[in-house]
Amino acid sequence: MTASQTALPTRQAIDDDPPPPRPRGQGLPAAGFLTPFLLLYVLFIAGPALYGLVMSFFDTSMVKPGLSGFAGFGNYAEALQSADFWSPLWHTIWFTILTTPPLIVLALVLALLADRVKHGRWFFRLAFFVPYVLPSAVVALIWMWLYTPGLGLIETALTKIGLTSPNWLGDPGWAMPSLAVTTLWWTLGFNFVLFLAGLQEVPRELYEASSMDGAGPWQQIRSITLPMLGRTLTLVAVLQVIASLKVFDQMYIMTSGGPNFATRSVLQYVYDSGFTNFRIGYASAVSMLFFLVVLAVSAVWFAIVRRQEKEV
Amino acid sequence: MALTRRALLGGTAAAAALGLAGCSGLTPGRDPGGTLSFWNLFGGGDGLRLTQMLDAYRAANRGVNLEAVTLAWGNPYYTKLSLATLGDKPPDVAVSHLTRAKTLISAGLLEELKPEDLARHGLDAANFTARPWEAGLVDGKAYAIPIDTHPFVMFYNTDICQKAGLLDTAGALLPLDTPEKFTEAMKKAKDVTKAYGGVVAIDNDVASPWRIYQSLYSQLGGETLADEGTKVVIDEARATQALSFLQGLTRDGLMPGSIDYQGAIATFANGQSGFYFQGEWEISTFQTAKLPFSMTSFPNIFGGGKYAVQADSHTLVIPKQPDQDQANLDRSLAFIRFLLDQSKTWAEGGHVPAWKPFLDSPEYKAMTPQSNYAAAADGAVYDPDGWYSGSGSNFEIVTSAAIGSVLAGRAAPAAAVAQMRSDLTSLAKTASPV
Amino acid sequence: MTTMTSMSIDTRMKLFNRICAGVLIAFALLWLVPLAWAFDTAIKPNEETTKTTWWTDNPTFSAFSRIINETDIIRWFGSSLFIATLTAFGAVLTGSLAAFALSRMRFRYRNVVFWVVLAGIMVPSQVLIVPQFREMDSIGLLNTFWAVSLPQIPTAIAVFIFKQFFDGLPKELEEVARLDGASFLRIYARIIMPLARPAVAAVAIFTFVSSWNDLLWPLLVLSNPDNMTMPVGLATVQGTFGIRYADTMASALLGAVPLVAVFLLFQRNIVEGIAGSGLKG
Repeated sequence: MTASQTALPTRQAIDDDPPPPRPRGQGLPAAGFLTPFLLLYVLFIAGPALYGLVMSFFDTSMVKPGLSGFAGFGNYAEALQSADFWSPLWHTIWFTILTTPPLIVLALVLALLADRVKHGRWFFRLAFFVPYVLPSAVVALIWMWLYTPGLGLIETALTKIGLTSPNWLGDPGWAMPSLAVTTLWWTLGFNFVLFLAGLQEVPRELYEASSMDGAGPWQQIRSITLPMLGRTLTLVAVLQVIASLKVFDQMYIMTSGGPNFATRSVLQYVYDSGFTNFRIGYASAVSMLFFLVVLAVSAVWFAIVRRQEKEV
Repeated sequence: MALTRRALLGGTAAAAALGLAGCSGLTPGRDPGGTLSFWNLFGGGDGLRLTQMLDAYRAANRGVNLEAVTLAWGNPYYTKLSLATLGDKPPDVAVSHLTRAKTLISAGLLEELKPEDLARHGLDAANFTARPWEAGLVDGKAYAIPIDTHPFVMFYNTDICQKAGLLDTAGALLPLDTPEKFTEAMKKAKDVTKAYGGVVAIDNDVASPWRIYQSLYSQLGGETLADEGTKVVIDEARATQALSFLQGLTRDGLMPGSIDYQGAIATFANGQSGFYFQGEWEISTFQTAKLPFSMTSFPNIFGGGKYAVQADSHTLVIPKQPDQDQANLDRSLAFIRFLLDQSKTWAEGGHVPAWKPFLDSPEYKAMTPQSNYAAAADGAVYDPDGWYSGSGSNFEIVTSAAIGSVLAGRAAPAAAVAQMRSDLTSLAKTASPV
Repeated sequence: MTTMTSMSIDTRMKLFNRICAGVLIAFALLWLVPLAWAFDTAIKPNEETTKTTWWTDNPTFSAFSRIINETDIIRWFGSSLFIATLTAFGAVLTGSLAAFALSRMRFRYRNVVFWVVLAGIMVPSQVLIVPQFREMDSIGLLNTFWAVSLPQIPTAIAVFIFKQFFDGLPKELEEVARLDGASFLRIYARIIMPLARPAVAAVAIFTFVSSWNDLLWPLLVLSNPDNMTMPVGLATVQGTFGIRYADTMASALLGAVPLVAVFLLFQRNIVEGIAGSGLKG
């Protein structure tokens, strides 16, 4: 199993192994095997998805039974016309822009470095990956303390070298970059491990051969490593973008979407409209719009992967 | 009891999993003698005083295991409270702002408190100040027991005001009850501090700009919403007048035009301003800072004969219980009564008690500066009715943003009124979800 | 190519590798600072935490014992453990059963089923919180561990991991058993699953970790401090600690311990699992 294989599990998985056609009669046992999964799937994924779609066309309220009045496309129109929808969407995209490039580039650079180190790789894996297994609440508590105005470690360190430190989480302009730094610390290890695995797939002989040809390390990276990593890179980028779009925890805990809504993400907007304002019909419509965005990103990914496959 | 359960759970991981499987909400196990859960949103000085009150309750009711939970202030608190109640696991008693209780009531999330039940614990209407009690009624029925009124007030630095000649011979602040007198006082204080006359929090503040504006606008007799929040009825002329007055103060450098909540506190605490405008709860902050200060009602700048000031009340409510019985209810009401009987502790935090037996006592009248502004509670103007209104709500957020831009000098009063009107209209047009 | 130049390339390589190691170590240390600082803060007395120095004359673990004794953290730990275990077990069981059917059995609509499951990967679980909440409300499961766990169990990605693994197992293994008249269930339980340990480990660990770390969904359905999961408890009840930084950091570190332990125990499986599946929450 390699990362690049799962990058496109779908076509392979189906076409790979057509088992020899057998006489009918396996339908019943197959149903038995599929039932537990499909039952839960229908009850808790497909069903709610459909229910959410229906609800998005109604003025459904959290605290009233039933769907309430039919709204037609009213909820969608309201969302699309409201700055309250567009600004969280922009914040989410802004967060994605702030986090994705460093999370990819830095992880790649560190993985390239680690690939060259022969000893103590476990230590680097530990240092970079341990934050990733922490719950968001733990990460948030630690970083809120690091960012605390007047007392935080970051401000103290900056003051010592003669710089003034902004109010990291309290200043509307700085809050999002601060959350991005926290996220970088938290999730870098995941990409690091993915890249490291991708690097180990690169045949050693290629390096040896190019060394014989007199290629320096930088040339090796450019002409061998990066091209070989193409698919892993696409995978990491897409996973990263989708994960960033789904951001909620850091904002919810560290800034509650503030100051002045400067860090409210789309998911928090769904949460606010549905669970604070009880407007779950509207919140469903916003969820659907958000789903479309994620779907669009995934579609772009498919397109890129297909092109890469053709090139190979 | 909690300890033994914990010890059991701490035993082994397997035991923990098993023990929790047992109480995974399938059988919550309610023993009326047992646990009383109480949710609140008090941090800072309020939180410390509440802890004292709860400790007193624990000492007096050893049979009851009081589980008090403090959750983050504002929307997160009310969201959690609503979801817990919807999910049939509400706390026995909870704190709610009076202006937020209205929405909870229309959503059917609070228990009605019947007069006969209240009477058993001496919680008759007559024992409460009229304003918060009546403001909390819905269709004449009671749901929320007010513990206080917290009006927007004026803090003043006594040293600075002395030097500025703003105190009378007895050391009390001279009345500032016209726009001219008020502005004059700000100027004199500024002359002393060499920085600012007064200060109010503006930046990133979802409530303070609304509080000061609403106080002035109500003094002019202005209303913002009508018909349960379905109509926006801002009075253009009055709103512009209030906003222009406020903008004049920051434009002339009498008040800072860009400062956040902590910054405003610091400005006043450092003697860079003679006046500070905020809810009375900040009393503890300045007492701790050992600042020479006093407090009085927010001045009646525009009101003439009739006083008005923005305010809210903390109330105690009983969220809808899945299986309420008489014993449970009585235990909860007794707890509420117990907290009311400690109104003195609560009043030390600045709040004007709603509990008449204490409010009318000589003991309270002797409390200074608290009793200076007790009368402000009679002029309390609560945020207008509407499902999106109340303390820390969308309503305050939207209006504060517009008012803040006027104070900061970024928007003209008329533009801010237009912005408020359009933002509020889109909220008002939204069908109420409750 | 002379020996000279090859030597110099060798030295160049060595030097380059040294620099690589240096930069890497610097970053790794930098990455450890937040956790180290959190620990440093936690072992200071609360009053000393406002002095931003690393050194303390009075190191103490009292913050940890305070958190354990005064908050519900042990209960949160129990809730998280129960929910994550239930979820991981459910995901392994249902996912492997479904994958077995998709991989080893011939039936009509097999491709349809496969595509339906595939579609599940496209739907981020967060998009469904509103209808799922409503559903849990109407069937009376709110504030139970079932409400947290059930929607997390049918994970399309688990089906994939298992299917891919099963597809890679040679058919001969079971054909003998088939000839002997063994049922599918027997083949699944006796032949396939014992071979699928790596896939089981990958799915179990990932569903466990993502369930343990999930915030949004349990935040919605668990509203009582009694039965909150660790992340929800830490995120909502933090106000109680006020500005006692040592206590706050102690609670954060206690919240971190279980998963760091899981990581250290299963480091290999986790890292291989990620590399193999590209799974992300």
